Amino acid sequence: MSAKILIIDDEPDMLIMLEMIITDKTPHQVVTTTNPLELPELLAQENFNLVITDLKMPAMDGIEVIDTVKNHDPEIPVVVITAFGTLESAEEAVHRGAYDFITKPFRKEQILVAIERALEWQRITRENRELRDRMQSEKTAAKTFRSPGD
Amino acid sequence: MKLLNLFRRKKPSAPAGGEEFFKKKYQSFKNLLEANNAALEVMSHMEATLEGDYVFDPQFIRASTESILEKVQTIVQELNTLGDNRYAELVKVYQNIAAKIQNETAAAPSGVPISRVLPLSQVDRRLLLQVGGKIANLGEIKNRLQLPTPEGFVLTNEAYRLVLAENRLTEPLASFLKDLDINNMEQLTEKSRILREMLLQAKIPSSLVEEVNQQYDHLITALAYKPYLALRSSGLYEDLESSFAGQFLTVLNVPFDRFFPSYLEVLASQFTPTALVYLSQKRLLQRQLAMSVGCLAMVPARSSGVIFTAEPTGGRDDVLVIDAAWGLGPAVVDGSLTPDHFVLSKKPALDLLEQQISRKTKRWIAADKGIKEEAVPLEEDSQPALTSEELLTLGRYALQLEEYFGSPQDIEFSVDQQGQILLLQSRPLTLLRPHATGVLPPHLEERHPVLLDHGTVACFGVAAGPVFLVDHEADLSRFPDGAILVARHTTARYGAVLHKAAGMVIDIGSATSHLAILAREFKIPALVDTGKATQVLRPGQEITVDANQIKVYEGRLEEILQAPVAKTSLLAETPIYARLRRVLRWITPLRLTDPQLANFTPAACQTLHDITRFAHQMAVTEMFELGEQARQGEVHMVQLQTNIPLNLYIIDLGGGIRTDHRGRFVSPEDITSIPLRALWRGISHPEISWAGPIPIDVRGLYSVVSRSLTAAAPQHADFWARTLAIVSENYLNYSSRLGYHFATIDALVSDVRNDNYLNFRFKGGAADESRRGRRARFLGEVLTRLDLEVEITGDLVVARLWKYPRPLLEEKLDLLGRLMGCARQRDMVMADETTVEWYIQAFLEGNYRFAGEPGSVTPPDQD
Repeated sequence: MSAKILIIDDEPDMLIMLEMIITDKTPHQVVTTTNPLELPELLAQENFNLVITDLKMPAMDGIEVIDTVKNHDPEIPVVVITAFGTLESAEEAVHRGAYDFITKPFRKEQILVAIERALEWQRITRENRELRDRMQSEKTAAKTFRSPGD
Repeated sequence: MKLLNLFRRKKPSAPAGGEEFFKKKYQSFKNLLEANNAALEVMSHMEATLEGDYVFDPQFIRASTESILEKVQTIVQELNTLGDNRYAELVKVYQNIAAKIQNETAAAPSGVPISRVLPLSQVDRRLLLQVGGKIANLGEIKNRLQLPTPEGFVLTNEAYRLVLAENRLTEPLASFLKDLDINNMEQLTEKSRILREMLLQAKIPSSLVEEVNQQYDHLITALAYKPYLALRSSGLYEDLESSFAGQFLTVLNVPFDRFFPSYLEVLASQFTPTALVYLSQKRLLQRQLAMSVGCLAMVPARSSGVIFTAEPTGGRDDVLVIDAAWGLGPAVVDGSLTPDHFVLSKKPALDLLEQQISRKTKRWIAADKGIKEEAVPLEEDSQPALTSEELLTLGRYALQLEEYFGSPQDIEFSVDQQGQILLLQSRPLTLLRPHATGVLPPHLEERHPVLLDHGTVACFGVAAGPVFLVDHEADLSRFPDGAILVARHTTARYGAVLHKAAGMVIDIGSATSHLAILAREFKIPALVDTGKATQVLRPGQEITVDANQIKVYEGRLEEILQAPVAKTSLLAETPIYARLRRVLRWITPLRLTDPQLANFTPAACQTLHDITRFAHQMAVTEMFELGEQARQGEVHMVQLQTNIPLNLYIIDLGGGIRTDHRGRFVSPEDITSIPLRALWRGISHPEISWAGPIPIDVRGLYSVVSRSLTAAAPQHADFWARTLAIVSENYLNYSSRLGYHFATIDALVSDVRNDNYLNFRFKGGAADESRRGRRARFLGEVLTRLDLEVEITGDLVVARLWKYPRPLLEEKLDLLGRLMGCARQRDMVMADETTVEWYIQAFLEGNYRFAGEPGSVTPPDQD
């Protein structure tokens, strides 16, 4: 399945490499930006399945990115990229709702695995919610159906 | 410190001064070893990053290099402490290399206000992000190498941003570029037109006009005349990471009153269809685009040309290629005529090897405003455009540039009317090497007539497709995917369709033209200078271009069409990998391999690795000498008497050697150091064979020899095998270099379990990388199964164990001794992956002689 992935990093080299890896090795589509301030607009324009973001950027930090994405749609997983030696902020990011984090430098395979896991999480979360919703509406329907007779 | 306390307790009677003195030296030695280990670890890590498919950012390069520099600085300092400042020269060598590295990694000085206009005399690579690659390199040539270039100034990226911002163009430009479809030629042409129009009509802010006026006035003062200018574009990524050959505009001979319109023209050239396609192919559109413009005093050139410091397609790296023609530069690179072609040898001396002088019937010259083409007088047109003296001077400059920038270069130059050479730019050269076209099937030419068999290779390879004849630029919009581009000249504008073209055949032009450079960058098989392609080949005709054999056949020759070269770029070709490679060339190559050679000196150190190698060797030597000079009762150095060719010297800090044996030599029985005794048990295990070199297969031998080309061949297998052990009763620091290997053990073994530790490191080896890698795997796997914590980076194996009870640590040291004996040169016989597992098993089973090893008479899989 082809997913839409948004990548935010103030370092253009990172964007080049990540886009290259993802488009070479997966069917997913990639949108990139060096400017995190574009995030709200990008989220409004397209339905992303995953956001990958750098944690430390001058314009907006990764934690704000997580908040913005989660406010927009809590079912979009966010994978955070952190610099070596900043484990604490990575943990903070996960605490604030990031699905996973990955520490630079990392191998090509690591990001591919992280992407597939995050997408799988989204699929399951959505499925769960749909099931719950269906059950809920069935319940409500049953209730509505029964209530006149109570 | 704990360790020193340990031996202090054991030697209460030692004279305090001598012991203090030795303790200080020993501490330096320990610090040096620690820094050495740490530096090697970071180096291995950087190398591994370069080899593997890693994703990293500039911060990684900066942080890693800073860390290595700091460690190597410690090494140099401690060596000087150890050697009473006898290695002061090494400090300078270090500073020199550090400056080169920092020059590569340095960002622009932060906090300094960003200039919009700068004189060329103030420009170097640190200003890369402000002035773009081309001008940054030119600044290096002028200010660091001090080679002749024109005088001038530069309008930085900041000036470009100001123009955009003041004209409210920043946002519209970005949104225009966002949805660009490079495969839709019509849309591309239209967008390009609008983008360029936006820029051409921009107003220049008055503050910028003022700054430019000032700089031009300075230029007049410096030159003592009012020069016309050459405006040269310098894209942010140009010349550093991608060639951008001929992509952006250069406007020649601009009178100052026409300066700003020309400046805008250069800025607008960033958005020609060709440039947009190129930017998109290089994945640069998403990056911040900016353009700075170099404004150089115009050189009224008598001749101009290009130098390639290696043959771009011929496969010869030991020659320089110079193409030149009369007049200004465009004649050589725009492909409109065939220039003179010179080939010079680089070694042993610069020398003219070949020359082909062409008839150069026209030339570009400076005209009233701009430049014009004129006919070359008949008596001159067949004369060489360069004198032999000029050729040699150019050759010398070219070698300097290649060495300085660290890779083959593509250099543009002009020679003025007085014969003075001026360098105009230097950029990395894309090299391609021929690949064989398999054996041609018989009777091939009966079925597929040869249409062309003459020309010059611009890019090797074989391609087939229908002919698409390009006569006018307008034809490009109809260029179909997979066609062969056939044209009269090599104009760089054809670059706009190179991402669609399968191959290219051109009538006139040279392998040094911009279009040829682009063909190599996009890996499109291409022939130029075929003379008559546009006459012989018919539109739509199916042809096969075999650039390897310089032949064009009718029809598709499936027999010789190789699997098409993937055009998707690899991670290793991204700009950041190029940057890491550039930095690493001052860090990891090891040229100083043999301490017995005369060039084992500080001056011969060209990389940080060389410095660590040199310093480590010298530190060990210093420790030997200290040991030798030590008086009775201070410290004690002895040599171990044994049949094992280890050349083991022991410095006893106290309690490590039986005190009643104080001769020059001791026997193994005299060792009282607990860890050394345990290690020695393993080293001297009866089943371990230390005698004679290990038999190696021919390829193993070859890889040893090829690594040794820069050093003298070793006299015997263990050609530099002095091993030093510094011991006390509970402590061992063991440094050994067996052949090319480098092993250290640092261990403390006492009855206090919490103090105990064991560190083992093994690096290097004479065989090629894959074999060294296999040995690293062998060692790593064995050590892991011996319960050590193991880390392998490239061919560096680090294993640790701590807080183990004494008997267990002694057992491990014993096994380490055996393992080092077995690992000696073991990489040479580990010819393939399957044998590694076999050796691991053999070792664990105690088969230390490796009876029945793969490749011997009775291989295990045939038992």
